[in-house]
Amino acid sequence: MRYRLALLALALLAVLLWLLPYGLDSYSIHVVNVIIIFAVLAVGLGLAMGIGGQVNLAQVAFFGVGAYATAILTTRSGLGFWFAAVLAVAVTMVVGLLVGLPALRIQSHYLGIVTLGLALAFTNWVTNAQIAGGAEGISAIPVPSLPGVDLSSEYLYYYLELIVFAVGLAFGLFVVRTGLGRRLRAMRDDSLAAGALGADVPALRLTAFLLASIYGGIGGVLYAGVIRYVAPESFNIANMFLLLAMVIIGGRQSLVGCVAGAVALSVLREALVDHPTVAQIAYGAVVVLVVVFAPTGLAGVPVRLRAAIERRRRGGAAAARLQAFQRYDVEPVQPGEQAPVLLRVASVSKHFRGLKALDDVSLTVVTGEIRGVVGPNGSGKTTLFNVISGLYRPTLGRVEFKGEDLTGKPPYRLARAGMSRTFQNLRLFGDLTVRENVLVALDRSRTTESWRYVLRPLSVRRRDQRLRAEADGVLDQYGLTEFAGLPPRSLPYGTQRRVEIARAVAAGPALLLLDEPAAGLNGEEVRQLNEMVHSIRDSGVTVIIIEHNMGLVMTMCEQVTVLASGRIIAEGTPAQVAATPAVIEAYLGDSMSDLPPVPTEVNQ
Amino acid sequence: MSRLRAAAPISVLAAALVAVLATGCSAPGKDKGSSGDDTGPIKIALADAQSGQLSSLGAWELKGVKLAVQEWNSKGGINGRQIELGVFDTQADPTIGTTLARKIASEGYIAMLGTAESAVTVAMAPILKQEAIPNITSGQSPGLVAVGSEFLFLNGPTSTTYDETLAKYIVDSQGLKSIAMITNNGSYGKGEHDAFLKALGTRGVTPVADQVVTTDQKDFSAALTTIRQKNPKVIFLGAEEVESGLIVKQARDLGITAPFAGAAPQGTPVFLNTAGAKNVEGTIVSSPYLSNDVSDASKTFAAAYKTAYNEDAELHGAKAYDGAQIMLTALKNSNVAKGKDLAAAIRATKYKGLLGDFAYDQTGVGIFATSIGTIKGGKLTAAQS
Amino acid sequence: MQVFLQTVIGGVSLGAIYALVALGFSLVYRTMGLVNFAHGNVVTVGAYLASTFYLSTKLPFALAMVAAIVVTGVIGLVIERVLRPLENKDFDLMLIGTIGFGIVLDALIIMIWGATGRAVPSPVPAAPLQLLGLRIRTYDLVVLAIAAVATVLLVLFLQRTKRGAAMQAVAMDHEAATAVGIHVGRSNAIAFMIGAGLAALAGGLVGPLLYVSPALGGTLGIKGFAAAILGGFGNIPGAILGGIAIGILDAYTAGHFQGYSELVTFLVFTVVIMIRPTGIFGERTVNRA
Repeated sequence: MRYRLALLALALLAVLLWLLPYGLDSYSIHVVNVIIIFAVLAVGLGLAMGIGGQVNLAQVAFFGVGAYATAILTTRSGLGFWFAAVLAVAVTMVVGLLVGLPALRIQSHYLGIVTLGLALAFTNWVTNAQIAGGAEGISAIPVPSLPGVDLSSEYLYYYLELIVFAVGLAFGLFVVRTGLGRRLRAMRDDSLAAGALGADVPALRLTAFLLASIYGGIGGVLYAGVIRYVAPESFNIANMFLLLAMVIIGGRQSLVGCVAGAVALSVLREALVDHPTVAQIAYGAVVVLVVVFAPTGLAGVPVRLRAAIERRRRGGAAAARLQAFQRYDVEPVQPGEQAPVLLRVASVSKHFRGLKALDDVSLTVVTGEIRGVVGPNGSGKTTLFNVISGLYRPTLGRVEFKGEDLTGKPPYRLARAGMSRTFQNLRLFGDLTVRENVLVALDRSRTTESWRYVLRPLSVRRRDQRLRAEADGVLDQYGLTEFAGLPPRSLPYGTQRRVEIARAVAAGPALLLLDEPAAGLNGEEVRQLNEMVHSIRDSGVTVIIIEHNMGLVMTMCEQVTVLASGRIIAEGTPAQVAATPAVIEAYLGDSMSDLPPVPTEVNQ
Repeated sequence: MSRLRAAAPISVLAAALVAVLATGCSAPGKDKGSSGDDTGPIKIALADAQSGQLSSLGAWELKGVKLAVQEWNSKGGINGRQIELGVFDTQADPTIGTTLARKIASEGYIAMLGTAESAVTVAMAPILKQEAIPNITSGQSPGLVAVGSEFLFLNGPTSTTYDETLAKYIVDSQGLKSIAMITNNGSYGKGEHDAFLKALGTRGVTPVADQVVTTDQKDFSAALTTIRQKNPKVIFLGAEEVESGLIVKQARDLGITAPFAGAAPQGTPVFLNTAGAKNVEGTIVSSPYLSNDVSDASKTFAAAYKTAYNEDAELHGAKAYDGAQIMLTALKNSNVAKGKDLAAAIRATKYKGLLGDFAYDQTGVGIFATSIGTIKGGKLTAAQS
Repeated sequence: MQVFLQTVIGGVSLGAIYALVALGFSLVYRTMGLVNFAHGNVVTVGAYLASTFYLSTKLPFALAMVAAIVVTGVIGLVIERVLRPLENKDFDLMLIGTIGFGIVLDALIIMIWGATGRAVPSPVPAAPLQLLGLRIRTYDLVVLAIAAVATVLLVLFLQRTKRGAAMQAVAMDHEAATAVGIHVGRSNAIAFMIGAGLAALAGGLVGPLLYVSPALGGTLGIKGFAAAILGGFGNIPGAILGGIAIGILDAYTAGHFQGYSELVTFLVFTVVIMIRPTGIFGERTVNRA
């Protein structure tokens, strides 16, 4: 029903937009044409900032590169408009990649000032360069020629812009709703966790800038075709902040919101065009108001309204419930004597400026094991995990996984090699639904294969639908079906933990690292966790688990490694380890009461 | 997903069909075009930067134009019709300029005055040409002439004239051949740089230093120290009022004692105040409007300006006043013509203005000479030569 | 050689202003964990207020500065109060909120004082000092001295006073800070007020050096921010070093690359930050992923 209504509304909108020029005079249609260009730019900015989480204050420079490239190629090199347009977008994409390089090293406000500086550098270059016409710019850009259509008429140019904009928006929405968009959003929400799930974060950052630059370039081309004059002032910082305001007011995480913001702000400025100072105060004030009172922007308003209505309607109805975990359908198998070595940590040390977090740690984990890693607080357990999963590069030593030396490789490489993990303080992707969290793990496509989006969109779509079905299967198995469409932060803590485990396992790892999965769980939940981990191991995944809950460790793990002050002080079966004097000493005062009753040697 | 009933796709198809038919009938495009009115007020647009860095120019222009319009309106307007001035803010942004050009056209203005920035004027020129709206601009860049629009006129000399006169005075009359140049890379500064260099070139003089700075620059130590080392006898300035004021101030702090020389900006109070009156002593200025005391007409103008705005008149206001006067005279002579006829009328107008005698040629330039003055005791006075 | 040295002197003089602006950025970051994009506009407000008090009401320059700092401090309080609901919740949104405030301030400046601007005569009329053929403006030395004093006072405040330590605690972990009894809202308000005051100090001092116009804070803000990051964001002595470094870099590129100076300056800045993202004195913020 909703789908039909949406389609009808869309068709109606399309008809209205097609008929729009008939009701406008020559000035208004020009204003509309400029608004559409800004809308295209806003979509690009939204993709980079809202979806990809990359602060991109160079969007106005991408706009400028596209416009200037078109201008230079048509006036200086005499190329035809359309050919020049294609080249111009290509040039803008190259610039976008270059501007994105700093994002590999820095983020947030650092990236902001760097991109802002690069935008200023661009304006400086075009002001001086002879080929760009210097401060007076390039005028008399030829009208794009289309057989039978006179594009010097702004009314007909409107249709060109409308079609380009519609295609651009559709493509942007397609990207956002499928794998690439999900990975970008996951990276935005938590780049550490995204990397640990196999998302190639450096490539994704570059892709975010690349996407922004495509739209910037297209906007520039459209601009050159309608204004037919480019000068440095049109691409200044004030316009950058205007674009930023549009994206914020509209809601940066929604592309449609970005468009809405572009339209709303442009209309506001147009209404106050005779009082530019008042217009400026108005739009600055709107930015502040939106940020304080409606952080999700205009696009967030219908969502919040709907949620409020739902809340009122639902009232006493039952909230989503956690179902039981369904065991994997396999024969339980104990690790045999000849089980191959899966992970070998060889003499790993990790120093932090004089502090030895890990000191010459070696351990070997065979396939099919459930290994426990225990130790008092600060003994280096999580550091060990971080070294194994690639978050830290060890100061000394080697990490071999499946026989391959993967020491110091970035987390996403290790994830692709078959490693998966959960985190001590829960790292779920806050602005993705539970289903989308799982989808990120399931999606094994490489960011470098993103060209498929342009050349083979149907295959991308088919793949996405397949993955969704798979994700639903995973959710069902873990009893999370009723939570599928909810954001993780609204879930009870125990359920969130389960989501994280489901997500980690959905990645299809050979090795699963669980970092304190029982923290904050009650007795029943711990029991369920035990059952889950055993079943996961039975399905063929080797598990290493850091835990403080001794009872759980004793019942769950076949082998236990004990760390204290960065060194391994004991290794063996739970019973053996519990009896070791060094272990007892290390734990004196720490979880002593959690130890099950085993004969101990009292050390006097 | 596939539970669509027959109703939905049919209605969509029907709507699309209607749209296609409607589009097929006629191309869109209609104007409010209220310019067909022949009895209402005469609408003239003034487009300038009323905000932003160059807004002081816009403010001066507005004052000059308004003074002229008020004068005519108090005498009954033209053919009994009052003159209505519409003020538009370009924010010195060429994109906004093009939007305003369309707005001016669609709202029925028959003529435009301004802008003071050559880049914005160049951006608006093609649209004004298309809409046949004559434009008298205050810009001075030779690039304006290069546009080649029959609807574009200048209310002052071009940079070429300013600098040719300046070079003539400095080289020919004063015999100074050791000249340094410091200009910015904005459209005004670049224009000045090229024009002055050319004027020197025809006299066989090469500048001893040619420093370029950016429009935003705040510290000129590097450029000025380089200039100081060459020990020039005079330093040519090609930058707007504030920046050139800063350059002079810093130059004096660095121990440079040589006088400066420049064109229009050097004749303004902003330049004087920014640099400090002591520091600009002896500056050579090439300007068609040296001071308010230059002639009886200028004295009357200055008095009226002071009465109306409680401010001293200066070059930009005088230029704008002249431009407005020319426009209004042409309107009267042509019986409130529009489009090409108005443009022809402007071209035919001979006007004795505050800046000199205007006589437009094919290129849209109406005045071909400036005067030389020097700043003495904080005032710009005509030079003895 | 003389050109080089004089360029350096010119760079240091402007660099001292960048340093003061950077101090404000770093202080607010250090004590609130916030990047305040309205800082440049507050500098402009400070410049206008100081010049108004100095020129129109004829107050002695020092008093005019103090008055400007007080009034601007109040503006800082207002901004903080409005953005308080976002504090410590969403860093990025608060950053954008400050951008919005900056836009409003810019428009208000034009409304109150007009778009033209004014020149401010130097309050130190002495002739420049001459040293080995180089010339140093006395006013520049005054600015440098004030910047140095401000740095020392700030460092002492942060390290030796309870209030200063409390403010840093808030930035590190505001929940823990509340738990030990620190009033986070008030702490942030004072931090913002001091930051605004520093901006006014920079603005008031730069007036006689340059020209007071609405565009004053624009480039100063951007270069000041870059300076703060270069020195290590949040590091107070780093802000001074960063400011001087950017000032000298600016002056040098202006001499060598003339019109292309901005391009070179920002390219150099980008490369330096990519090589050493933490700046000269900052802490590691790069995470591997």
